Amino acid sequence: MKTVSCSDIKATLDDEGFLTDSAEWNEEVACLIAAEEGVELTEEMMSIIRFLRGYYYEYHAFPILRQVCRDIHQARGCIQDNFVDPMRAWKIAGLPHLVGVEFISTDPEGRIYETSTPG
Amino acid sequence: MAKQPKPEELAKVDYTPPMTAWMDTPAVLKPGNFCNAAKEKSLQLLDMPNPRTWSAKDDDWKLPDNWKEIVLEGLRERLDKYRSLRVFMDICVRCGACADKCHFFIGTGDPKNMPVLRAELLRSIYRKEFTTAGKILGRFAGAREMSLDVLKEWWYYFFQCTECRRCSVFCPYGIDQAEITMVGRELLNLLGLNIDWIMGPASACYHKGNHLGLEPHTFKSSIEFFLDDIEEITGIRPEPTFNRKGAEILFVTPSGDVFADPGTYTCMGYLLLFHELGLDYTWSTYASEGGNFGFFTSMDVAQKLNYKIYAEAKRLGVKWILGGECGHMWRVLNQYMDTWNGPADFLEVPTSPITGTRFDAAKSTKMIHIAEFTADLMRHGKLKLDPSRNDNKILTWHDSCNTARGMGFFEEPRYVLKKVVNNFYEMPENTIREKTFCCGSGSGLNASENMDIRLKGGLPRANAVKYVNEKFGVNFVGNICAIDRAALTTSIDYWAPGVRVTGLHELVGNALVMEGEKKRTSDLRGEPLPGCEAEE
Repeated sequence: MKTVSCSDIKATLDDEGFLTDSAEWNEEVACLIAAEEGVELTEEMMSIIRFLRGYYYEYHAFPILRQVCRDIHQARGCIQDNFVDPMRAWKIAGLPHLVGVEFISTDPEGRIYETSTPG
Repeated sequence: MAKQPKPEELAKVDYTPPMTAWMDTPAVLKPGNFCNAAKEKSLQLLDMPNPRTWSAKDDDWKLPDNWKEIVLEGLRERLDKYRSLRVFMDICVRCGACADKCHFFIGTGDPKNMPVLRAELLRSIYRKEFTTAGKILGRFAGAREMSLDVLKEWWYYFFQCTECRRCSVFCPYGIDQAEITMVGRELLNLLGLNIDWIMGPASACYHKGNHLGLEPHTFKSSIEFFLDDIEEITGIRPEPTFNRKGAEILFVTPSGDVFADPGTYTCMGYLLLFHELGLDYTWSTYASEGGNFGFFTSMDVAQKLNYKIYAEAKRLGVKWILGGECGHMWRVLNQYMDTWNGPADFLEVPTSPITGTRFDAAKSTKMIHIAEFTADLMRHGKLKLDPSRNDNKILTWHDSCNTARGMGFFEEPRYVLKKVVNNFYEMPENTIREKTFCCGSGSGLNASENMDIRLKGGLPRANAVKYVNEKFGVNFVGNICAIDRAALTTSIDYWAPGVRVTGLHELVGNALVMEGEKKRTSDLRGEPLPGCEAEE
């Protein structure tokens, strides 16, 4: 657990880097978490983040990755292109770790991430 | 996540056994080789013993004071209940035929991953507590005292076995190592010693209907998303129904197909096929999971999770049940469901409404696998197919352990495959059919924190894939298992980059010529069909 802050904004992240209280989230908090993750947010990235939050609050699940790109009119693979690891986008969106959702890279040089789900 | 070493490094396996005897070599829990502990909440949801927050990395596993008594009593109960277990405990002559057949031994060189020695971890306690020779002669008779070290060793190694049963094929006595691991895990579960990657999905399934915890509207919206994709590719929009009473057939598939690539493309294949057939079927958002992570926990939990398939079939009043592409799902359905939750007398013997074929092999369970259903359609010439649409794919076939060794499914998927692709090459003989190698991540071990052991265990399978990749230019490995689709994607990508993973019905969906469809230019992945590359 750690608290990160920037000027007067504060956020509490758990050991894995997830925001402990999703309701605490706003776009400034997103920038804060992004900085923790070593990411500088662009408008394209913010549109992904906003979609993830909207989806989560409606469906309580992680969306199919290509569905995100289609719905926000970006190229397939938009999440990986922008964040490499989709879970990084999820963290920046301030959303909680979900059961059975893992994204795995097998490439030490690192651009290929895959979803692992229980069969 | 932690960086993996390069494949050349990981492939250097040291087969030198430790200098000390195995009983004097305590298990060392290496990072990357075990999973995170099951969460308190998951255990509570399933009413499992000893829910608490704990970690395998801590010295104190927060066990009840009488843990030893619980384990030994649990073993006694199971020896009384399962004649097979007593036989497997007594009969091994330690000939070693199984020793080098396990993918985890091949990939790690750790002697405790030899099936014979993994079983000895339990057998030694059995001898001490339940045999006269063991009680009197102790170590001379291969017996040892139950201790905390032994318990931790069990936890480490019973969650390094994927219950694939390859070793059993080579055992002259037919000892089923999977059943030994299953009992080992059951005993551990009596103390609340499971892993998060199993208990999380199992409790989500119990609570919400599927491993991913997808709620009904989420499940439905995922399928509707596939319909958008299908319409774009084929010009046709199938109209699947959900929870529809009076449908002839209930369709149940692993939830991975509804969420995770490349299983989602296989799911699109099902939707296309059923639409073309005009099949009177329904999805269920209640029985929305074919897989069963309870099976990696205990028979009781597995039975609980399995129950909803028949319950839903009864509620909806269907005639029979069709199941999607999954591995362990079929070991459960084929070998356990009937006695756990059957007999399903309210259902009829599955009969294809298209060909009239009666599937008598499933006359008791009333549930058939989609590969046999589709193979039968093809045998009767009921599908119009254009395999050339898959001509940019050079296939090999991975026999999934549970469907292959568990139910003898060797020919059906190959029959379908050969009808929908023109380029198909088998992997070497000792790595396919009943001797198939595990993906390396089955039985609930496809988490991310145990990636080191997953990749090591995945090496033998991936190595055979690499062989056909280099020899024949194979660029796709097909299979009928959702865990394979997730796990192989990772391990093949690591060991044999450039080869991708596909389900059978993704290929069927590509090749299927549908009435009223537009000229297709892309496959179900949205990638150009052969000859259409220039148009893209």
